[in-house]
Amino acid sequence: MKVTLFATCLVDMFQGEVGKAVVEVLERLGCDIDFPENQICCGQPAYNSGYVNESKNAMKKMITAFEHAEYVVSPSGSCAYMFKEYPEVFKGDAIWEPKAQALADKTYEFTEFIVEVLQVEDVGAHLQGKATFHTSCHMTRLLGVKEAPIKLLSHVKGLQYVELPGKERCCGFGGTFSVKMGNISGEMVNEKVQNVEETEADILIGADAGCLINIGGRIERQGKPIKVMHIAEVLNCR
Amino acid sequence: MAMKTSDDRFNKRVTKELENTFMRGAVSSAQERFQTRRLQQADELGNWEEWRSHGEEIRQHVLANLDYYLYQLSENVANRGGHVYFAKTAQEATSYIQQIAQEKQAKKIVKSKSMVTEEINLNPALEQLGCEVIETDLGEYILQVDDHEPPSHIVVPALHKNKEQIRDVFKEKQGYDKTEKPEELALYVREKLRNEYLTADIGITGCNFAIAESGSITLVTNEGNADLVTALPKTQITVMGMERIVPTFEEMEVLVSLLTRSAVGQKLTSYITTLTGVKDEGDTDGPEEFHLVIVDNGRSDILGGEFQPILQCIRCAACVNACPVYRHVGGHTYGSIYSGPVGVVLSPLLGGYDDFKELPYASTLCGACTDACPVKIPLHQLIHRHRQVIVENEGKAPVSEKLLMKAFGLGASSPTLYKMATKMASPAMAPFTKDNKISNGPGPLKAWTEARDFPAPNKENFRSWFNSRTKGGSE
Amino acid sequence: MAGSIVNRESFLSNIAKQLGREPKTQLTKPVWQYQPQDRVLKDATKDELVAVLEQQCKNINTNMIVTTTANLATDLQKVVEQYGGRSVITWQDERYDHYGLSPLMHTKWPQEDIELYVWDETQPAENIRQAEKANIGITISEMTLAESGTAVLFSDKHKGRSVSFLPEKSIILIPKSTIVPRITQAARWISQKVQNGERIASCINFITGPSNSADIEMILIVGVHGPIKATYIVIEDQ
Repeated sequence: MKVTLFATCLVDMFQGEVGKAVVEVLERLGCDIDFPENQICCGQPAYNSGYVNESKNAMKKMITAFEHAEYVVSPSGSCAYMFKEYPEVFKGDAIWEPKAQALADKTYEFTEFIVEVLQVEDVGAHLQGKATFHTSCHMTRLLGVKEAPIKLLSHVKGLQYVELPGKERCCGFGGTFSVKMGNISGEMVNEKVQNVEETEADILIGADAGCLINIGGRIERQGKPIKVMHIAEVLNCR
Repeated sequence: MAMKTSDDRFNKRVTKELENTFMRGAVSSAQERFQTRRLQQADELGNWEEWRSHGEEIRQHVLANLDYYLYQLSENVANRGGHVYFAKTAQEATSYIQQIAQEKQAKKIVKSKSMVTEEINLNPALEQLGCEVIETDLGEYILQVDDHEPPSHIVVPALHKNKEQIRDVFKEKQGYDKTEKPEELALYVREKLRNEYLTADIGITGCNFAIAESGSITLVTNEGNADLVTALPKTQITVMGMERIVPTFEEMEVLVSLLTRSAVGQKLTSYITTLTGVKDEGDTDGPEEFHLVIVDNGRSDILGGEFQPILQCIRCAACVNACPVYRHVGGHTYGSIYSGPVGVVLSPLLGGYDDFKELPYASTLCGACTDACPVKIPLHQLIHRHRQVIVENEGKAPVSEKLLMKAFGLGASSPTLYKMATKMASPAMAPFTKDNKISNGPGPLKAWTEARDFPAPNKENFRSWFNSRTKGGSE
Repeated sequence: MAGSIVNRESFLSNIAKQLGREPKTQLTKPVWQYQPQDRVLKDATKDELVAVLEQQCKNINTNMIVTTTANLATDLQKVVEQYGGRSVITWQDERYDHYGLSPLMHTKWPQEDIELYVWDETQPAENIRQAEKANIGITISEMTLAESGTAVLFSDKHKGRSVSFLPEKSIILIPKSTIVPRITQAARWISQKVQNGERIASCINFITGPSNSADIEMILIVGVHGPIKATYIVIEDQ
């Protein structure tokens, strides 16, 4: 199965390990991965802040970069969701709207792809530890992917899963919000870390780089002994 | 007060409210309670999504035919002896009501809770004439006594106050000498207000839902105050936002059912009352004279545009209770009588972008509000739309941000520029990096690093790894 | 006599203009796509509805008694005594007599120094004065909504609104035949009357238990402006 990887700019620049894990997990499941060089950024940072026109060129670049793909898979629910928004952004554009729709139709978030398309729930992963999971807002509410990550985690041998209190509550990242409204964002991530501590988990797992950099950054600052992992990294543990 | 509740700048309000530990505790536990109850009620019904869809179709149909239903409503109110005044502006509404107060030589006016009367700044207009205006909803009464403090939540206006503060307000302003126990405070207010109902000249209410087919207005309360406000004074004035209307009793009960579950997790509140015109012949309680004031105040400007869905709102505050930002900053931060997500969307539309341009950014676009809305208003999308308007039409975005975004636009559409930027990222950030993380970042990163560490850019980015791995590139 | 209507034409033309059309004078309400409300308790028997009502009363701080017409007087007396007797205000309603309450109300109570006042349309000021000082108000439900525990009362010259609001305690007599699943049935019934051109009461109250508020620290206080205590007496009248 040919899978085209949409790594996301955050993974590319800051979380290379996640990208590697995605590639290795998917290859192990029989996928043939390609990575279009021309992919840069889905445009969220500018788009979400209201700079729709500024983000259109970046979006067109992405549409073109993935035009050849059969399946586009991303380790970020919010970035995958951004692709789903492209048809609305280019609504009325005779050339770009159909292209955007074609891309939206073949884009999947990583866990969604494994469970819904590859129809696999047990990837043969093995990780000892007590873990909890933060459900990213865009992935859960906007993309509608709620069960796939939990199904996959439930089959990881040695992993004891504890539900995170307030798991659906936003961690305070929100892209530029974390910088524009830094103080409010700080309070939100602070509460999120407190929730994580309540579970007494050693590992916090998530499926979105933005959320993990945010929550992980707070955990680092507070010096808490909690390991922060992307679900791809967990699924890649043998 | 009018819609705007503060002259302080947004950032100052945020800082101040974040320090209010009691308020934050009160808000987060109220949120939890309301959310849990709302979800329990939704669960019990078993097909909540169908209810939401029904609520949405009713509201959308009414808005698309608003002129028709308002026509029908006004005809039916007049047929039952009521007077209908269509007020395009807040000024027109308050002038009309002042006129009635003067005609009646009204000294005392009792009011039940109404957001639209606050929006049009009604109380000061009546007080100007020398009328005593008394709020009878417990939360609103507390705020009124406390020098007209603005509400911080649509449904529980005094949420930010603890019982000790409430006791102190009554003690300082009215000589209250009992304890802070809620039952005692409530009993005190009950006794104090009893006589006011009985001696008031005019009763003023809002309107949860006007019913077009019969010319009725519906009031939804738990305290029973709205019923006393309308049963005892001889003149009743009801003020309604023009979009708060349904075709028949059938739609009224559906929306009330959605409202009470979404707002407070109840199947129905203690008192749901439909009032039609003046009292019937032979009735000895009920108003002899009834006025319905239908207020536009900027709502018609929203009709026909992309923000029209916000007019579907039934003022349940489910979005407020779901909002993770409201959770920390509380209602006063928004600087508007409408706070939380509904306030973020509505305030710039009714009050202009000048006073409310920061509000659309006080959101992570997490979508919890949209999920919670019983009539399916796409709140987070409307919030995003405001950002686009602010940037593109209003030109109110900060210059530095505009430049940054332009640079982003360039960098994100040019693989060459991107490659350069990523190559430079690690060395550029080197002065700020220690142990592979950045704890005190420059520029925009500074706001981030106040509370968190930021990862240092990978020395070898992912794509380099991928390319070297497959030996010869990808495509 | 008809009331006045001011500023309507310009107001409504403006709305129509915003909606991009001429003002509408004709409209048929659409057939709604969703009608979830009709299915609630659809197949419940009367007895099942009584059970639902009983359970709901527990949730709304309302005392509920089930009795027969034969035992009504005795059971009503018990509640009145529980509530401290003293003074009672009722509607002028021949049903009290039909239920065999006349001996209790007009003979026994005066003997026990329980003052009874019956709403009198010729005594407006006295009605209010009596309602204000009465300890107990007794009314009769026209339709009773099992799901929410709600009594529906219609005002008229013999049935003052204040009887259910001003006294500290409220007793509502509920003929079993009036019990329906939920507010949907009441709403449809009233709407049908309107469509038939019948005049509806100037005040229709849907009353669910005693008054309450959670405005102070979200702590539930039962008994604010309306009654502090409520009892429903269900009468098996079939």
